[in-house]
Amino acid sequence: MNDHHEHDPGHEHDRGDEQDAGRRMPRRDPRAPRGRVLDAHLHLLDRQVLDREGVPVTTVDDLELDGIELGVRIQPGSPPPTLAAILTGPQLLMRLFGGHAPAARRIAIPWKLVSEVGTTVRLGVDADSLDASWVERWVSRHLIGRIPGGRHDPE
Amino acid sequence: MKNIFAVALGVLTAIGGFVDIGDLVTNAVVGSRFGLGLAWVVLVGVVGICVYAQMSGRVAAVSGRATFEIIRERLGPRAGLANLAASFLINLLTVTAEIGGVALALQLATSVDPGWWIPVAAFGVWVVIWRARFELLENVTGLLGLTLIVFAVALFMLSPDWGELAGQALQPGPPADEPVATYWFYAVALFGAAMTPYEVFFFSSGAIEEKWTEKDLAKSRLNVLVGFPLGGLLSIAIAGCAAVVLLPAAIDVTSLSQVVLPVAEAGGKIALAFVIVGILAATFGAALETTLSSGYTLAQYFGWSWGKFRKPAKAARFHLSMIVCLLIAVGILATGVDPILVTEYSVVFSAVALPLTYLPILIIANDREYMGDRVNGRGMNFVGQVYLVIILAAALAAIPLLIITGAGA
Amino acid sequence: MILSDLLGSDAFDAEGRRLGAVLDVRLEISGAPAQLLAETVVTGVLVSSHSRFSTWGYERRGEDGPFLIAWLQRRLHRGSFLVAWDDVELVDVGRVVFRAAYEQLDPMLPQAPREA
Repeated sequence: MNDHHEHDPGHEHDRGDEQDAGRRMPRRDPRAPRGRVLDAHLHLLDRQVLDREGVPVTTVDDLELDGIELGVRIQPGSPPPTLAAILTGPQLLMRLFGGHAPAARRIAIPWKLVSEVGTTVRLGVDADSLDASWVERWVSRHLIGRIPGGRHDPE
Repeated sequence: MKNIFAVALGVLTAIGGFVDIGDLVTNAVVGSRFGLGLAWVVLVGVVGICVYAQMSGRVAAVSGRATFEIIRERLGPRAGLANLAASFLINLLTVTAEIGGVALALQLATSVDPGWWIPVAAFGVWVVIWRARFELLENVTGLLGLTLIVFAVALFMLSPDWGELAGQALQPGPPADEPVATYWFYAVALFGAAMTPYEVFFFSSGAIEEKWTEKDLAKSRLNVLVGFPLGGLLSIAIAGCAAVVLLPAAIDVTSLSQVVLPVAEAGGKIALAFVIVGILAATFGAALETTLSSGYTLAQYFGWSWGKFRKPAKAARFHLSMIVCLLIAVGILATGVDPILVTEYSVVFSAVALPLTYLPILIIANDREYMGDRVNGRGMNFVGQVYLVIILAAALAAIPLLIITGAGA
Repeated sequence: MILSDLLGSDAFDAEGRRLGAVLDVRLEISGAPAQLLAETVVTGVLVSSHSRFSTWGYERRGEDGPFLIAWLQRRLHRGSFLVAWDDVELVDVGRVVFRAAYEQLDPMLPQAPREA
């Protein structure tokens, strides 16, 4: 079966309802959108990701979709895949040159942290709370922060 | 007085593009060999950079997106990386040349060997980037760089034969004693210098540093229309001075002292003092512009936090990359290589990187999701596309011409 | 599944005929309410018979400037169409297979709201 987030009760209900509905009519007809429509590559890939204060965190180097099983026939009416996370870090190298990083090395920003999608992707949290910004924090604390004046506003 | 500072960004950007150390020498070389026969290239370049800087400034003001972010978004990460690599290399070579140029200008002023000035210059550039507010940086260097107008003053004081100068300018084409390929090589070099990508990277990032919004579009336009034509004028004045003094005497330009010779001849010690201040400010300003550009392009490609308006601890990788850049520049200069030779090559390479920079700008300037109603009008699109063709031609011709003419020997 | 693995895959119909390459994945922000945005679900797959890669989207949007570039892009990506996710039967490494009665839909995007 599809592997959805287990701690997402809202989605469980949704899946149940729409499996019934799905047998009667197509779900998520792209001709009749109920919400904002976007294309993953055109609108999301390579866009800047900004945190709640507007500080850049990273770029959308890749995206992770949940709910697609390779080589398995998709039953008509089964729920569609969902966007699970923004991938960054080593994934950029994979995207440029090919290959796969092991899942443990992936740096992901869960999609549920996204508050707005425009010409950039805005998160509803601060950069410091994310794994994705660990390099910035490290450089800031151990290199730049140690040079006199590094923590002050420019004059 | 405030109004003069309002155009400081445009003036500083233009200084880095038209009268940095590489251009100072190239313009003098061109003047001493071709007279004003290549002035038309400067004009074509000025119009081109005005059109594209205007677009990238408008994009930055309306959508808040700096040019290199857009390059990756529109060209994809591979082509974006190619552009990044080329731009970074060019920036690095130019920073190296500018730091060398600052040292050479200080040598002109103090007769102290430039080798001593190199670490001082690099440190000075770093301190300004580290601590000075963006507005302060652009106002001071922009204003001081304007003293280069002394070249134009000197041109008048030399009482040249205006008819002859005009004749050279209006009859584009190589003079009898210069090969055609060399003429076109310098044409491409001058065009590449006028439209160097780091100018739009700096201008659009500077627009965001200054927090321009849709209300500042008139200001953006003013910056462009004042800054770049001024830069072009200074370029032509330098070539003109060389045409009047160096060309008839067949003096070759091999160092800064030949570049300033016409000014010293025209106005004596006072004029010389002005021009040294001007060159110092212009090379220092260009060093700031290109160092910041390296930071901007890296940060915008990878999505790092950037900007001088943030404290360094909040834009750590941005500042780290600029420090590394300056250290590498000092390293290169320590090997004793001639910084001016370095720039002559980097100018040609920047011609190659032009299409990858300007095509995305033209695309985004038409995109309503970014620009709302402020998309390009038909006129702007027409000129933009014409220039895209010119840029492609220059990019394709640059390397072959470099090889054929042996870098304009 | 990682998006960049899906992009560029070959698209086949139920008889095994190659239709083109997967250009993009159409999403809709309209699923169950989640923390900040509603859940984003996949509604379809964009296929192009002549190209693998389109970053400017001239074939899906009403933008038409600048003239030369728009014309060139539309030619490069002519024959693009959208297939609803319901018509997707199988996704495998490097390929996507559609159901027997799949429909080719208009790839045009609905007018997106401008970022405030």
